Amino acid sequence: VLGLLSLPFGVFAPFAIWAGTRSLGRIRASDGELRGASRALAGLLGGVIGLSTFLAGIAYWLLAS
Amino acid sequence: VIARVLLIALVVVVAVATYPGTLIESAIVKLSSPRADRSQVSPGLLWLHVEHPGQGVPYIADEQGRSVLLHGAIPASLLEFGASAAAQPGAPIYPLDPAAYDGKCPDAVSAGRYPPLCQADLVQMAAMGFNSVRLPLVWSLLEPQRGRFNQVYVDRIAQVVDWARALGLYVIIDMHQNAYSAFVGAGPGVDLTYNSGAPAWATITDGLPSRELVQGKREANPAVVEAFNNFWYNRDGIQAEYIQAIAYLARRFLDDSAVAGFSVFNEPQPGWNLPPGFEDLLLFPFYRRVIDAITGVGDGLPCWTAFFMPAPCCYPDQGIHDLHHLVFLDTGLAREITDFPTHLGLPLSSYANVVLSIHAYTHIYTFDALAGQTLENATYPWGGYDQSYSLAEREAKAMNAALFVAEFGDSPSQDSLILANQLLEQERHQTGFAFWTWKEKGSGGWGMFDSQTGCLRVARERLLARVYPVASGDANLTYHYDSDTGAFTLSARGSAGQPATFVLIPPEVKGSSAALGAVTATTETRPDGSRMVTAAPSGGDFSITVALAPLVLAGCG
Repeated sequence: VLGLLSLPFGVFAPFAIWAGTRSLGRIRASDGELRGASRALAGLLGGVIGLSTFLAGIAYWLLAS
Repeated sequence: VIARVLLIALVVVVAVATYPGTLIESAIVKLSSPRADRSQVSPGLLWLHVEHPGQGVPYIADEQGRSVLLHGAIPASLLEFGASAAAQPGAPIYPLDPAAYDGKCPDAVSAGRYPPLCQADLVQMAAMGFNSVRLPLVWSLLEPQRGRFNQVYVDRIAQVVDWARALGLYVIIDMHQNAYSAFVGAGPGVDLTYNSGAPAWATITDGLPSRELVQGKREANPAVVEAFNNFWYNRDGIQAEYIQAIAYLARRFLDDSAVAGFSVFNEPQPGWNLPPGFEDLLLFPFYRRVIDAITGVGDGLPCWTAFFMPAPCCYPDQGIHDLHHLVFLDTGLAREITDFPTHLGLPLSSYANVVLSIHAYTHIYTFDALAGQTLENATYPWGGYDQSYSLAEREAKAMNAALFVAEFGDSPSQDSLILANQLLEQERHQTGFAFWTWKEKGSGGWGMFDSQTGCLRVARERLLARVYPVASGDANLTYHYDSDTGAFTLSARGSAGQPATFVLIPPEVKGSSAALGAVTATTETRPDGSRMVTAAPSGGDFSITVALAPLVLAGCG
């Protein structure tokens, strides 16, 4: 959810990356006890895209204005 | 594996529809060469366009490439504002039939907040040295029934354009609204007198109550907010219908150079959305679709137009191919409150003639005023009056747009501070302006004319009847007019054969004009008593001055 939210609202992106990374780590360390790797990966991906876009947008404003 | 693919596909789809897609779309626009048609030469008023200098801020220019400053006022008489709005919302106050204004002027009625707009008004505007008029009109009178446009209303607009053309004034056709619509419904504290905009069929409030949550703020109404929201999400295709309405106007005025351009949406409210997402993902993509429809430049992805159109969606070419007119784009309403950019300044269209319009209401609608601070003790904006202008210049540059103050005004009691400072900033940043409002009846009115006596307010005449360069071959010129002394100085540079600079001196200003340096200047006195200095550069620096002399003001009060 955080990953998807970070696409229209870049401010959520760092939280999505943090939550996605942490969840993936815990899932991998659980030896199959915890599930949801796909959702964690999607959240992480959304967070990374959201953060990249957010930074690119800010960079554009600073450079072009 | 299927779940993983579906999840990633979901992320990609949401990404395309939101900021990542918008950023890619803007990058494509930025890399495209600006498109417009500058081949057509007008026999009447020169076509205006937006000139894009290499590193500087784009500016409004004429066919000869001279920077043009538009000075004008805003008559609100073609809106449906009126005391009878609650009983009969959306009904016009004054006759729409142009025949009612041929050589005559209807009497002002008590139900109307604004007197009727007649030919004499435009003559008065021209006599004050104005070269433009921002003409607000309203969707509910233009398209009272879905898909059926009111030809009589369009004829009335055309009549005003005809009057303006004859006087050498440009018209900015302004799709106006205030608190979305007069059809949001009556309710506790709601005064529909000043609501205007969408017709009843395009006002979707989803049953939310119409009530004023903050006293005196007609926008703080759940029904209004919901109606705006439904517009931005194209509920029931109403946004697409609005685009069709503008396309209808663009088709009608396609070859008319007296129409400077179209102002797409007045003071857009965000609905339930927050900046910067509102501006970047809803408002500016909507503007791009309007531009797509009337110019055919076709930025963005083809989408179904009857449903919510995500940010990268373009709009089908309506076959008008209007590649001449300026398109004035108001920033979101939140910018008016913050005097600060509420968007990322992403380029939105490859159409060259885009103008970013700000509404400059520092200390009137900004945070400080909303918090109840007085003008003398205001703690915001931190950058003073200049904050809004300096940042707007940066916004316009980032968006590949020219800058224009599409609305500013104040209570007459605050002219010496607010109006004087706003005009000073406009000079400093070389932006044109449209003053709200031309004439207004009743107490507390902001009109240029006294609401009781009908007399031109002398303080406003002093400030607004200004000496200014209406057109100049040097976009980097500097100038200053002192409204206390009537003195004016302009410094510019030009090579031999470059287009001349024109400086307008209104009849109120009596000081003698002079030209110094590398220039040949002539001064023509016009029938209304104003003077036009034509300064043809001969290569090098030059200046034009008007000597200080007491102003001769026709107003009173």
